Amino acid sequence: MHTLEPELRTLHAEGTIDDATAARALARDRREVFSLHHELRATLYAGVLLVMGGVGLILARHFERIGPFSIVLAISLAAAACAVPAVRAKAAGRALTVAGDYLLLLAALLVSADLAYAERQFTLLGPWWSWHLLLLAVVHAAIAYAFASPLVLAASLTALAGWFGVGGTLGDVLLFSESTPALGARALLCAAVIAAWRYADRHARPSTSFSDVFDHFAANLAFWGAIAWCIEWPWLAAGLPLLAALAYASVRRGLDTGREVFLVYGIVYAAIGLCAAVVPWINDTTASLGFILIVVCAAAAALWQLRRRLRESAP
Amino acid sequence: MSRWRPSPAEERWLEVASELGAAVPPAAMVERTGGWRSTGPLARVALFVLGFVAAALLLAILGFDSEATLLVAGLIAALAAEWLTVSKRLHASGIEEGLCLAGYLLVGAWITTLIEPKSDVVGETVDALVLIAAAGAAGLRRLNPLVTTGAVIAFVYWVGSTATAHALDQVIGGGVTGVAFGCVLAALALALGAREYRRPSHDRMLDWLVATLPVAAYAQHASQSYYVASLLPGAGTDRLATTVLLLALGVALLLAGLRRRRHAPFIGFMGCVACLAVELRLATTLATETWLILYGLAALIAGVALDRYLRQPRNGLTSVALTHRGGPLDLLQTAGATLLAQRSAPEPPPPESTFTPGGGRFGGGGATGQY
Repeated sequence: MHTLEPELRTLHAEGTIDDATAARALARDRREVFSLHHELRATLYAGVLLVMGGVGLILARHFERIGPFSIVLAISLAAAACAVPAVRAKAAGRALTVAGDYLLLLAALLVSADLAYAERQFTLLGPWWSWHLLLLAVVHAAIAYAFASPLVLAASLTALAGWFGVGGTLGDVLLFSESTPALGARALLCAAVIAAWRYADRHARPSTSFSDVFDHFAANLAFWGAIAWCIEWPWLAAGLPLLAALAYASVRRGLDTGREVFLVYGIVYAAIGLCAAVVPWINDTTASLGFILIVVCAAAAALWQLRRRLRESAP
Repeated sequence: MSRWRPSPAEERWLEVASELGAAVPPAAMVERTGGWRSTGPLARVALFVLGFVAAALLLAILGFDSEATLLVAGLIAALAAEWLTVSKRLHASGIEEGLCLAGYLLVGAWITTLIEPKSDVVGETVDALVLIAAAGAAGLRRLNPLVTTGAVIAFVYWVGSTATAHALDQVIGGGVTGVAFGCVLAALALALGAREYRRPSHDRMLDWLVATLPVAAYAQHASQSYYVASLLPGAGTDRLATTVLLLALGVALLLAGLRRRRHAPFIGFMGCVACLAVELRLATTLATETWLILYGLAALIAGVALDRYLRQPRNGLTSVALTHRGGPLDLLQTAGATLLAQRSAPEPPPPESTFTPGGGRFGGGGATGQY
């Protein structure tokens, strides 16, 4: 164990921190108040993960024995049951608790699985089957707005990205061989839609808690699209300037809002994109590796300097 | 005051600056922290990766023609890390940590090329032990809990795969030696954690061991030898021994967590519960989907109950977040929800799709690329 009480008391005595800050910091340091919030979130996340894993297996293995209608009905009922705490909290005018939020996410995911299963079994949308993802995005967005849940909003944006044909995982981002200009265009379009949605949301509800979620999705998709464009000529001519503009905007946003993650996005994605654009044009292996090394060192130096500026400009 | 690393007092002030964030003016801390400069968690991770990649690239540029390139690349990386520490006064900034770890590992890899014969210290190669020692030395040099924990976990795996451990496994059950060793180290770290340390980093190293060792030790048991051992007579004894070990450690972790009010014992306890759940599943004939749903529901019910019980603080314990600072955990939560959402909406087979191929994983509506 360690305690920082002497240092905190010194700062308080010399007036560097005010009474309230000192009292809060000392209470935390002495463990007079201790939050299990993170452990609780991890437990709830594990619960949702396990239940969804089990439901996925049931859908894959037992649909013939149980029958598709029974499965669809059972999952719908389970989804409705999971939404009960959120509905009760809303009816009572209370804010959603962390447990209620995760149960609502489970409800939304069960709806996703149910709809995907129904579409697969009954081909409700026929050749327009992929539109069920857009439908999911809309349904999840409605749930997210009804209960002010950023977690369900993330599910909605994932479905939207899926409808645009963008997987949206880190693995997809790094799979350059599968990145095509068309995929890049779709990612950029999806990012633009999410950015527009974000600004509309901010305009309509100035106290919104969704902006962070929108920002992360829009930034990652936009960078992914720009990098996909950097791989092939003649898209490279547009991809590289776009990547530079996005990197600048991301760094600017990070510095303005004090959020370190946007500095990381701006620098790391720019370095990846630059290497993806230039390395294929260098024939010599040593020269290629040397170029990547220079980019990596420059990225590290830039990130370090920007992080310093962020700290110095903190209020 | 040292040029090579922050003194305990300086490290404590760095910790205070990190805890208080913007509430304390940076200018007030510069002198106390001895001019040492650190960075935030996300930038630290990114810089660590960049440092490690830079060292790997250096080796690739020097080539693999002779073993000496390992030494040269390792020394350059390690010296670059020391230069950043001494001249730029970087501490826990990521870049010097990535360079140092990669440099020490490369030097360790070079040392392994000198060792003859190649194997057989109690049935396991010395090479792995040299690399583990190199990683451990890098972690201690940089006071980095991630690296020291990785080295200790690798050491537990090494011990579990020695001939001595296999011989003991024949008596006490398949894979139990590794689990027992991991649990003993976790218990030792838990006991040492009761002492007061001047350096927060030493405390954190012990915390990381307490939080990760139970699961890491059990993972080796479950993934490597368990299923083979289960086919042999006496599989029940190793299951019993593993269960007793995890149960005893879990209880100790829970009690320590409640008494000390620290996160690491609670995380270790949760890991023990997860391992016990897997053991219980292996002891029964429940279908996979059934136990997934049952355990998931149990976790959700436990979470809901804990949330309700601790919504109003009880004796200082609460389920409510103490700060609302958005940080890596919020990002992790969004990423986790995204991952779950992707898995819950599998791709339906397109019988006669109107879309052209290449629409990505979900084959989405924008797949024609005509937007």
